[in-house]
Amino acid sequence: MSWIPAIFRRRKLFEDLNEEMRLHIEERVEQLVSEGSSHQEAEQAARRAFGNLTVLEERSREVWQWTTLESIWADVRYSLRQLKKSPGFSFTVILSLTVGLGANTTIFTFVNALLLRPPAVADGGQLIEVMTHNAKASGIEAYSNLSYPGYVDLRDHNRSLSGFAAFDGDPHVVSWSHGGGGQIVYGQLVSSNLFSVLGVEPALGRFFQPDEGKGGAPTVVISHSFWQRELGGDRSVLGRVLVLNGGSYTVIGVAPESFAGVIIGLRHDFWTTLAMTPTLIHDPTLMGSKNSHWLFGVGRLKPGVSRSEAQADLTVLIRNAYASDPNAAGMDAIATPLEIVPGPFRGYVAAFTGLLMAAVGLVLLIACANAANLVLARTATRRRELAVRSALGASRFRIIRQGLTECLMLSMIGGAGGLLVAYWSIPELLSLKPATIPVSIDAPLDWHVLTFAFVASLLSGIAFGVIPVLRSTRRGLIPALKDDRQIAGPRRSQLRGSIVIAQITVCLVLLISAGLCVRSLFNARSIDPGFSTHDIAVARLDPGSLGYTQAQDRQFYQELLERVRALPGLSSASLSDYLPLGTSRTVHCIHIQGVNPPPGEDFIPLQVASVAPDYFKTMGTPVLAGREFSAQDIQPNSGKVIVNQAMATHYWPGQNPIGQHFKDDKQTVEIVGVVKTGKYRSLGEDPLDFMYLPLRSQPQEFLVVRTRTGEEAALGEIRHVIQSLDPNVVPMEMETISQYMALPLFAAHTTGVLLAVFGCVALLLATVGLSGTVSYSVSQRTNEIGVRMALGADRRGVVRLILKQGMRLSGIGILIGLAMSFAATRLLAGLLYGIKADDPLTFVSVALFLGSVALISCYLPARRAASIDPMKSLRAE
Amino acid sequence: MPVANKPMAEANTRDLFPGALEMMILESLRRQPAHGYALVLHIQQRSNNLLQVEEGSLYPALQRLLKAKLVKAEWGISTTNRRVRTYQITASGLRHLEKQISSFERMLEGISLVLDQGTSIAN
Repeated sequence: MSWIPAIFRRRKLFEDLNEEMRLHIEERVEQLVSEGSSHQEAEQAARRAFGNLTVLEERSREVWQWTTLESIWADVRYSLRQLKKSPGFSFTVILSLTVGLGANTTIFTFVNALLLRPPAVADGGQLIEVMTHNAKASGIEAYSNLSYPGYVDLRDHNRSLSGFAAFDGDPHVVSWSHGGGGQIVYGQLVSSNLFSVLGVEPALGRFFQPDEGKGGAPTVVISHSFWQRELGGDRSVLGRVLVLNGGSYTVIGVAPESFAGVIIGLRHDFWTTLAMTPTLIHDPTLMGSKNSHWLFGVGRLKPGVSRSEAQADLTVLIRNAYASDPNAAGMDAIATPLEIVPGPFRGYVAAFTGLLMAAVGLVLLIACANAANLVLARTATRRRELAVRSALGASRFRIIRQGLTECLMLSMIGGAGGLLVAYWSIPELLSLKPATIPVSIDAPLDWHVLTFAFVASLLSGIAFGVIPVLRSTRRGLIPALKDDRQIAGPRRSQLRGSIVIAQITVCLVLLISAGLCVRSLFNARSIDPGFSTHDIAVARLDPGSLGYTQAQDRQFYQELLERVRALPGLSSASLSDYLPLGTSRTVHCIHIQGVNPPPGEDFIPLQVASVAPDYFKTMGTPVLAGREFSAQDIQPNSGKVIVNQAMATHYWPGQNPIGQHFKDDKQTVEIVGVVKTGKYRSLGEDPLDFMYLPLRSQPQEFLVVRTRTGEEAALGEIRHVIQSLDPNVVPMEMETISQYMALPLFAAHTTGVLLAVFGCVALLLATVGLSGTVSYSVSQRTNEIGVRMALGADRRGVVRLILKQGMRLSGIGILIGLAMSFAATRLLAGLLYGIKADDPLTFVSVALFLGSVALISCYLPARRAASIDPMKSLRAE
Repeated sequence: MPVANKPMAEANTRDLFPGALEMMILESLRRQPAHGYALVLHIQQRSNNLLQVEEGSLYPALQRLLKAKLVKAEWGISTTNRRVRTYQITASGLRHLEKQISSFERMLEGISLVLDQGTSIAN
């Protein structure tokens, strides 16, 4: 720490130096005087011979300073003083940048959370995620997970991995019975070696043994958050028994706080071994099935083995396993680096967040343009100060550095403000996520985000600072020392003009994109999903998870329906195994006489759902012909089905579909009703064929209830009824239909809301920029306007003059913006509902809107110009 | 930021190469300790006024030497009864000077060989 005394010693050094230099000049003066010069002459000559005292002094001091560091610090202090002197300027620039950088930091935080953060595991670079890829399919459909036998095959026969684990990608909704009731918790089935392959150490207790759960007592590892939240962080939790889905599980360990699972966002309360699959989720066939692809594979590469070598090794095994299956030709193993968003999905996430990044990038561009314009105006008024500094010996480099330091100070303050904006807006953004999906996204402001904010601030500072600052010193500064008023040369205003044009251009692109997304959101909201989107409450139940037999299930649902129907505020209630726009899908194979199946298939695939009587009445789906299912139709082998209109017109055009027969698997079925076509997979889909079957008892069903007294109230009443039937049965989902619709609307909602916000911000910034530029040019042209008015120009003429200037810039910006929007909005096409990416109405109306905003923002300074008193402005000359 | 070593010289005078001024200061101080003004006079006289060293540029050079501990300085009273800060070369200053001079001589030799060749061809 030798620099600490050095700093105190330095004052003495500098004093010595000054004294020494003063004595030097004094001695020279004395000598010259003794040689016969006058004192004044001698003094001048001595100073000339000595050189520039200030510069020499500075350079001597620099020897002792950490030159760069300290002179930068000096620049920083000087900049802060300068900025404090013009608070209006500083405030406007900082505000612009805070908004621009805040938007960028916020969106980047999500990019970081989703794409850049590694899972909390040891030595993650050696971990790979293994899926299978079918060369015959395309897109995301081509990827599938592993079956349990498939996983075991790869685990036991690979030569490239030191460990190969698997986990179930879907969290299981599990009912935890305690304190006389049930509670929903989320559990994951994992291979017993998962934690050791990942290299995660328990926070408490131990993880699974290799043969855990086979024969011995069922065990679970609980998550740190579950331990803290539900069990009070009790250290004696080990050995405690949890009753999960009716079975008893002993807690053997607590996962570390940092470990929240391998895939983003899925909330886990506990983990148990794959061997527990039949007990926990009451599915006895899953483990043995070769056709259920439900496991993600995670492997740790052996030292010296590359990811592609492992992929080749695993592909050989997969091809051998499928050798007998002609449909499986082209099956490969895909090994991707282990990330919290699994490999195949990263592209989608990247495209979505990339779009938002592009939007906020444009906002930042506008903000920087604002800042550049303000800095330009300011350097113009500061030319005299710069000229004085230059005359006093400051080099051009030094002046440029000082100017850039000022800009960087502004952008750094803006960046810090941006971090605050991000800090406040992230929870708001997270709340856009539908509350009912059990996904928690952790988006912390970690060092990635801090680095991003810093670099973005730095680049913005340079971007908006470099041109104005270079310009300020380019032409000789000496004229500025003279009383030079005509400093706003044509080139300078040209530069300011092009900045404004760029701002308007970018602003229009953003506004048009925002307009499209907002209209798309309204379209999406008004898309008729084929059922009513209000006054319905839904609950997903699974008494089967508590070990109910089929007969018990039937009895439970029967009683449930009866009791719910008896509630006073409800008009109807029904059951189904499916809700439209959900994630699950059941497909049947049908044969229709005289209709050829699609090429390559020997049957017609058709999506189906099973529903109970009154389903369509409850959901508000119109029955167009025939009837709903009756109580008789529910009986086994009744052979009655209901189809949607799309299917009816598809296969029986011009005929009465009621009474038509066709083959569903082995059974011949008869159409008894036709219902209105709705949306089944996504809101944007084209009409799909769909068939409804009578619902026979199933462990897992949706209860749908139509209410007259408000959905929220109904939820409470239904919960009460379920409790009274069996306190251990907990609805896995319980929501109003409008809450349910949040998920299918999520993408449209998010882009609509965000782009609308960004568009408004962009508009505000561009308006400030435009009106600032026009005001500035008015202030520069005060004399000229005074002369014009003195020579007889009337006020309207002056207003027109100023408006013309502003509107010319806006007009050019709008024209370029329209052209660029045609290109840019193509990127949005995939996200839009019911509106084309080049929708002319949106383009024209947004352009007109921006034009009128521009007109207003030019009009105010123009009116000010017209109120100039010609005599005053000329006298000031 | 690189600090320019170049004094603010008149346009027609030749700049000294970096380190030349330091070398001359050290050489002068090797003969006898001196204060800044005396050093300037000494260098000007010894060079027959061929080297027009801007007087002030001595001081940044002296600061560099002080920092590198090649010289040391002390306030005192001169023979002419002035308050002066007298510089004295240190042992490491002497060693540094030796090295500088020998490398300078090699450089000079090289340059003059090249220049002589040029002259002989011209002749």
